[in-house]
Amino acid sequence: MSLPAGLARELEAAVGADGVIGELDERRTYECDGLTSHRVVPELVVLPRTAEQVQATVRLCHAHRVPFVARGAGTGLSGGAVPCAGGIVISLARLNRILEVDLESARIVLEPGVTNSEVSRAVAPHGFYYAPDPSSQQVCTIGGNVAENSGGAHCLKHGFTVNHVTGLELVLPDGELVTLGGKGLDPPGPDLLGAFIGSEGTLGIVTKVTLRLVRRPEAVRVLLAGFDSTEAAGGAVSEVIAAGILPAAMEIMDRLTLEAVEAAVGAGYPDAGAILIVELDGPAAQADGDLARVEAICRGRGAGEIRIAAEEAERALFWKGRKAAFAAMGRVSPSYYVQDGVVPRTRLPAVLRRIAELGSAYGLRVGNVFHAGDGNVHPLVLYDRRDPDETARAQQLSEEILAVCIEAGGALTGEHGVGLDKRGKLPLMFSRADVEAMLRLKAAFDPEGLCNPDKIFPPDVPPDAWGVHPLERLARGA
Amino acid sequence: MAPSRVEPGTVAEAAAEVERARAAGLRVSIERGDGDVVLSTRRLDRVLEHEAGDLTATVEAGIRLSALAARLAQAGQMLALDPPGDPTVGACVAANLSGPRRHRYGAPRDLVLGVTAVLADGTIASSGGKVVKNVAGYDLSKLFCGSTGTLGLIARVSVRLHPCPQAQRTLAVDVASAADATRLALAIRLSTLEPSAVDLLWRAGGGSRLLVLFEGSAAGAAAQLAAARELLGGDEADASVWEETRAWQSRAGGRLSFAPGDLESLLQDRAEALVRPGVGCAYVPEPVPDPSDPAALRLLERVRAAFDQRGTWA
Repeated sequence: MSLPAGLARELEAAVGADGVIGELDERRTYECDGLTSHRVVPELVVLPRTAEQVQATVRLCHAHRVPFVARGAGTGLSGGAVPCAGGIVISLARLNRILEVDLESARIVLEPGVTNSEVSRAVAPHGFYYAPDPSSQQVCTIGGNVAENSGGAHCLKHGFTVNHVTGLELVLPDGELVTLGGKGLDPPGPDLLGAFIGSEGTLGIVTKVTLRLVRRPEAVRVLLAGFDSTEAAGGAVSEVIAAGILPAAMEIMDRLTLEAVEAAVGAGYPDAGAILIVELDGPAAQADGDLARVEAICRGRGAGEIRIAAEEAERALFWKGRKAAFAAMGRVSPSYYVQDGVVPRTRLPAVLRRIAELGSAYGLRVGNVFHAGDGNVHPLVLYDRRDPDETARAQQLSEEILAVCIEAGGALTGEHGVGLDKRGKLPLMFSRADVEAMLRLKAAFDPEGLCNPDKIFPPDVPPDAWGVHPLERLARGA
Repeated sequence: MAPSRVEPGTVAEAAAEVERARAAGLRVSIERGDGDVVLSTRRLDRVLEHEAGDLTATVEAGIRLSALAARLAQAGQMLALDPPGDPTVGACVAANLSGPRRHRYGAPRDLVLGVTAVLADGTIASSGGKVVKNVAGYDLSKLFCGSTGTLGLIARVSVRLHPCPQAQRTLAVDVASAADATRLALAIRLSTLEPSAVDLLWRAGGGSRLLVLFEGSAAGAAAQLAAARELLGGDEADASVWEETRAWQSRAGGRLSFAPGDLESLLQDRAEALVRPGVGCAYVPEPVPDPSDPAALRLLERVRAAFDQRGTWA
């Protein structure tokens, strides 16, 4: 496939010769995102420096009917940034300036290529931070976070990207520049801003973002408890929630993950079947009181060793292993598949039991590391990609785990997105009418279907393969 | 022709009514009186599920906040929306209604997990989910927040709940001037206090007050109240003052959105307003014109047309 004659030259005129990559070797760098199983080499890569250059690039694509995919740091795990055949990639890497820090409004205005952790670094001296903290925060960009509605370990109390973006400037697929929201909240009309966030780059390209900053709390308390099993740890999580305590984060790692993490970073976790990390933040009197209650709940649920971080360095050590968990899996297995499903929190123990049974039935090891507080599980299916049979089984097991999550009333993806990877799975959770309603939004933003095509929505689904949404299922049962 | 009023008892009946009206070329309005057919959710008022352990609930949109609150209180939980009056959950979503506790818990868009809507052609479509975390598909439940009946009938809503706080303490501080209000609001923003509500009752002629609500454990709320008093001055007030701010809010003609740092200039020319300085919104006596970017309004028109090709929603 090739691009229309003259487009490359027009793009060079729009963004400068150093802003267009045509060499095949260099274009290959952009062929996939963090999920390397899907690869397409783009026809060209464009690196604009300004919103006007993004606009000019999109206008040219629109005029020539060439599809385009916006890209941040390429750390996504659902193939959402995979180029489309015959299309171009628009990298936002050069739109990486912080434009304004407005502490009096507790807002920051920046370009989409700024990394997540850079935001917190920029405002740390003033006692503020940016709350959503995906594990890839050192490299992933705010633009990518907006596209995926990224979460992280601390979303339990503080919310997701959508709860922290107050304004966006974006380029629509026809090149028009639109501003949604601003520094204030609750503007009139339908919440287009909220619907745009998490649309996985399929509705437009963000060129400016206004974020809410959060004041660093007076106190942060972290507790680490060892349990015999993930089920026991999960029971403690349910009881903490039932007790009316809202921790900043609650995370569980199972034995297999702990072994991998110990080998990788030597976090010095206790020897246990599972560990639970609970972080509480807020005014000291509140956090200390809640900490004592969480400790009592863990003891009551049979926790062995309980550690409470005495200082910041120890707190960082508790988290170091958790943040390194995915990468550490490489130490115990040549390949692994990360699943991202959500279950109602009360169903965690039952779902974990089912995942273990499925693992045994398939003869594959499954590590579990997850955001227990919001029911977001990340089962890691271990396999050897040199063995085609095992690879196929791993894929099948991972898909079956997802079906278990949805059957329990959960969701297809909690934070990684649908992208290319799960688009065929969308009917597991939605009916045809549900998806057709979503496509109305797509049609209003992108009637020509040029903006990150082929993502989220399945190409063709037989009429009888569509499912029933959890809300509809609930109503039919009621 | 006088409008006919229909009160479907199920979502499927509601869909059939919409379909029938559209086939007859009639315009449909929701609760209000300007369509040929006025659709009411009065009978769609059931709690379909309350999973206390998950802090989530799924309800039909016609349930009133007071009825839902009574039900949830049995489990020590609440839907953290406190607009004035006693609107239905559907109205809260459709008009993006919130009250003083918007400061801590957010607006409907932050609390809604999923929505089932009846669209103009009578199809029933759900999006979002009933779990607290979910990024599958477009989140149309956000789009329906603030849609005021122009995109479809909000029929079912899944919401995130919060535990009822054990204790509530309120601080009231007299405010002398716009500069004084700005100083106090900034002091709260830069402090480590975590109030649930911060409302400024502004009267340029005098008598302005800043009200701050603290919630949590008894010890936690007491400690915050003491720390706030040291920082801001003022005295503890009775919880009934929040009824006063909600009454102000219900009398307002419009709501405007502003950058929290611009509080002083906002107050400069205003005789009175109920301001949420931490949120960046203010309830004012006069209607407020839509300040949206013209390109955003054009985009919104395209979205409306995509959801209602024949102009069925009045």
